[in-house]
Amino acid sequence: MKENSLWKDAFRRLVTDKFALGSLLIVLTYAIVALLAASGLIAADWAKEVGGSNLPPSTEHWFGTDIFGRDVLAKLIRGTQIAMSVGLVTSLIAIPIGVILGALAGYFGGWVDDVITWLYTTFSSIPNIMLLISITMILGKGIFAVYIALGATSWVTLCRLIRGEVMKHKEREYVQAAEAIGGGHFRKLFIHILPNVTHIVIINTSLQFQFAIKSEVILSYLGLGVQGEPSWGTMIDDAKLELSRGVWWQLAGATLAMFVVVLAFNLLGDALRDSLDPKLKGK
Amino acid sequence: MTSPLLSVKNLVVEFQTGEGITRAVNNISFDIPAGKTIGIVGESGSGKSVTSLAVMGLLQRPAARIPQGEVFFNGQDLLKFDESQMREIRGNQISMIFQEPMTSLNPVFKVADQIAETIRIHKSVSKKEAWDRAVDLMNQVGIPNPAQSAHKYPHEMSGGQKQRVMIAMAIACEPKLLIADEPTTALDVTIQKQVLDLLHKLQQQYQMSMMFITHDLGVIGDIADDVVVMYRSNVVEKNNADEIFTTAKHPYTKGLLACRPKLGANPRRLLTVSDFMDENGVEKHISAERVVVFDKEQEKEKSSDILLEVKNLVTHFPIKGGLFGRTVDHFRAVNDVSFTLKKGKTLGLVGESGCGKTTLGRSILRLVEPGSGSISYGGKDITHIYAEELRLLRRKMQIIFQDPYSSLNPRMTISEILTEPLNIHGVGNSRAERLSMAKELFEKVGLKASQLNRYPHEFSGGQRQRISIARALMLRPEFVVCDESVSALDVSIQAQVLNLLLDLQEEFHLTYIFISHDLSVVNFIADEVGVMNGGKIIEMDKANNIYKNPKEAYTRALLSAIPKGITKANLSALL
Amino acid sequence: MIKYVIRRLLYLIPVLLGVSFIIFVLFNLVSGDPTAVLLGKNATARQMAELREQLGLNKPLLEQYFDVVRSAFTFNFGTSWATKQDISQMIVQGAYPSLCLTLPAFVFATILSLVISLVAAFYRGKGIDLFVRIMCIAGVSVSALAYILFFQYFFAYKLGWFEISGFEYGFPDFVPYVALPAIIFVLLSLGPDVRFFRTVILDEIYQDYVRTARAKGLTEIVVLLKHVLRNALIPIITYVVIQIPSLILGALLLENFFSIPGLGGITLNALNSSDFPVIKAMAILSSVLYILLSLLTDVLYTFADPRVKLK
Repeated sequence: MKENSLWKDAFRRLVTDKFALGSLLIVLTYAIVALLAASGLIAADWAKEVGGSNLPPSTEHWFGTDIFGRDVLAKLIRGTQIAMSVGLVTSLIAIPIGVILGALAGYFGGWVDDVITWLYTTFSSIPNIMLLISITMILGKGIFAVYIALGATSWVTLCRLIRGEVMKHKEREYVQAAEAIGGGHFRKLFIHILPNVTHIVIINTSLQFQFAIKSEVILSYLGLGVQGEPSWGTMIDDAKLELSRGVWWQLAGATLAMFVVVLAFNLLGDALRDSLDPKLKGK
Repeated sequence: MTSPLLSVKNLVVEFQTGEGITRAVNNISFDIPAGKTIGIVGESGSGKSVTSLAVMGLLQRPAARIPQGEVFFNGQDLLKFDESQMREIRGNQISMIFQEPMTSLNPVFKVADQIAETIRIHKSVSKKEAWDRAVDLMNQVGIPNPAQSAHKYPHEMSGGQKQRVMIAMAIACEPKLLIADEPTTALDVTIQKQVLDLLHKLQQQYQMSMMFITHDLGVIGDIADDVVVMYRSNVVEKNNADEIFTTAKHPYTKGLLACRPKLGANPRRLLTVSDFMDENGVEKHISAERVVVFDKEQEKEKSSDILLEVKNLVTHFPIKGGLFGRTVDHFRAVNDVSFTLKKGKTLGLVGESGCGKTTLGRSILRLVEPGSGSISYGGKDITHIYAEELRLLRRKMQIIFQDPYSSLNPRMTISEILTEPLNIHGVGNSRAERLSMAKELFEKVGLKASQLNRYPHEFSGGQRQRISIARALMLRPEFVVCDESVSALDVSIQAQVLNLLLDLQEEFHLTYIFISHDLSVVNFIADEVGVMNGGKIIEMDKANNIYKNPKEAYTRALLSAIPKGITKANLSALL
Repeated sequence: MIKYVIRRLLYLIPVLLGVSFIIFVLFNLVSGDPTAVLLGKNATARQMAELREQLGLNKPLLEQYFDVVRSAFTFNFGTSWATKQDISQMIVQGAYPSLCLTLPAFVFATILSLVISLVAAFYRGKGIDLFVRIMCIAGVSVSALAYILFFQYFFAYKLGWFEISGFEYGFPDFVPYVALPAIIFVLLSLGPDVRFFRTVILDEIYQDYVRTARAKGLTEIVVLLKHVLRNALIPIITYVVIQIPSLILGALLLENFFSIPGLGGITLNALNSSDFPVIKAMAILSSVLYILLSLLTDVLYTFADPRVKLK
């Protein structure tokens, strides 16, 4: 038997699960497409008229063209870039805030915990959709407001989960042992406890990503999201009126693009939970 | 001769795991005659619990399967029964008590309702009748104020009381067979004794058969008629209890019998299973000197230097209450405790859960802040020292915890765990030097250096406890608190760890405080014993005096609770 | 019990102050000067100053903050910029269509989800369970927008089974208008609800006390419905109750697509016309509701779980 860290064990379980592996590959593909689009290598000229108005799907244009004769596939790719960037940026905002506040509250308890608990209770008391609408409306429409709005609402769940888990681990004997050998607060919290709760961050991020993508689509549909650039949400908004005229490909394209990536993140989140959460081990 | 009530024949149970099929029970056969108690003994993982679940038809499908075997109950093969036939049997003809009373009761229902439910499944009685019967049963199993206690929820009861409720539930339909799966392992020794007596009494009263599963042969000495010994999925010996206790044949059985410490007379190191057989199960011959009884009071005093002096120590925890959760009162976990401990000696602290022994140990190490009184270590008052001084003190004072599963960080390798104390205190000049120090100690506690890069979950409970010991000794401390350090281990492993602690004490001139709820263990390892109750040390004396002339009634109760195990005379008979 | 409720009530004060503060910061500090938006480009400086006075924007900040706090208790939100109507009245009017749509749909969705997840848990690991899991995970992965668009197009527009849009007051007149959006609401809720309920139920099913219940000779169905469900109820209560504020808000998207003049519609109209006071009022109202409901869940806990101490 070779030495196996829990991480390696988890990774091995993950890649032997066909669904998880497939989901991981899909997510990676979307990430690469988003990166290529962001660097201008693909779909840079999405706004160019490439053919007639509302052409149905063909070998030349897989998802047809829109009312201005623009290639729907190119628009989908731009939309991918927006969607993935929203997932990434909100995670980058939510993870540090959620982890640091959650860890401090769980570890120190007392008034630190009281203040942080009050803070996240307050934030979670405003229903998500109202907070999203308020923030995007006040900061002005656009992708920046979407980042901030989603970031401001997503740290709460993570903070609560991390706080609970840190509280549990704080009482474990291995943390007391770290104190007994002379370790201080910093060592106990950052070297001992945090590596034992990071799986929560990973699982949560996967689920957070799909929530952010879905929210971006709805906010964009409501006209609060990205302006002057195609997003899956604005494409669905366009399609709303076209559907009665039998133009279904823009709607189908945006829905499909979103379905695949959200499904992948969902499956990945479940698989990560199964493989990383030691609570379920042996079941 | 009449046919037995339960007859297990050539039973095989296999589990489908990620790595393939493992055999948990390998072709075992045994009988339980009507009205008799059969003890099934073996260490964790030997297949004894799986056997009982197979009899009950409660194995987790489809992971578990039974490719072969028969389980005859009253002449009918239970393995051929379908689910609805099995339900008729369960709780009615065969009932079961589990190891964990804390989690085995449904937290949201009143205890009497849970007992009454069993009755109402199998007997056509009214709700009221079932409830009254439940109250009556609670009375029979010795729950105080049964009429009031009936309305309690499980969390309002102690562990021992919950186990009594489980027993009441199990006997509610007067079953023919009662299966008790480690029913006392999670309980203190005193409670264990009460529960054993109760089970024995009920077994006689109802003329039930009982299948009593345990890892500790000593526990069933008083109550079992026959004993079945299981080792690595196989039955290695079965015989009636007297024969087992006097003339055990299999070396594993001999090992199990010998490994439990006796009050007073023990060899210098406890005999363990590995003294009787090698890794392949081949019997070994024991040298005569291994079983020479050793009296520690004959030993010369090594030194008379006082290492630790505790004076009037009080440690309290706030009790919150009122509208704003203010501190309204204090709970005195340690209440005015004083003692001295000489260098190289071991002080044993014994008492039931909640008596304050663990808090006392942690207060001395300043892991819990003491309230008042003083602690002086090596002549220096350490009650209120802070930060840097406390950090330096940690090099000299260490602790070994109870739970081998939570005391090691699961995300660190063993070498990281062992070198961490050295890193914190800047011991050793290089990584390589620290690693070689870790390796040296790792081998000293009986593990192989090649396993240093592994993670805690790859080791067994006993091995993990050895790793905890190694970690505590990395800084070469003078003083170690062992907090219930062997309580979570099987008796056979317990003996090995106790021996290791003694070896290490000799080699490193350690001073121990050894905390346990089991007086026989404390008596074996300690020079002096303090009996704790309600936060106070109520009696303190030389280890031998404590069991020879106990002064307090409480101490006598602790003594009488110790399972009988094996007598001195039988020790030589084993050779 | 009373003491516990009082303590929870007292805890509402800092939370309410916090929520008011966030809303105050967003709408009074960050949002900038709304007068330019309201009066258009040709407004004179004098007009703008007058309007500012009128809107109370010249008051000291602390006073403005207390106005927000006060409105959380009095539900006096002032008048809408766009419609010049009293906002409280708008909300009362909008609540009716919203509740006609969401309340029955919510109750039905919750019950249906619970039944499905119990069936899935009963057949855990078998075909039905797998099917439920696949449907749920696929269901939650499709955009809500796509569901609504397709159902409206197909069942209302193509087949003509339901009204395409609009609303009429009074039962049973509203039924043809809310039936289709209600069905979509149920469909949208099933995925996340069943996933959550099933996980919670399965978490309980592997506990020791369930083994005890089986050892008594109980049938699997009784084990599930009595022992397991009762324990799983505790997280389920929280999950269900805290969804209610979003019901009052109305199914924002559904009301928008089906032109139902409910609170969701009001919110979206306000959004399009930059009608800050209305959005602010909706934010305050839904938060207050959330806070009160979280109090309700805490009280419900004490009934569901005897371990919750009523200190």
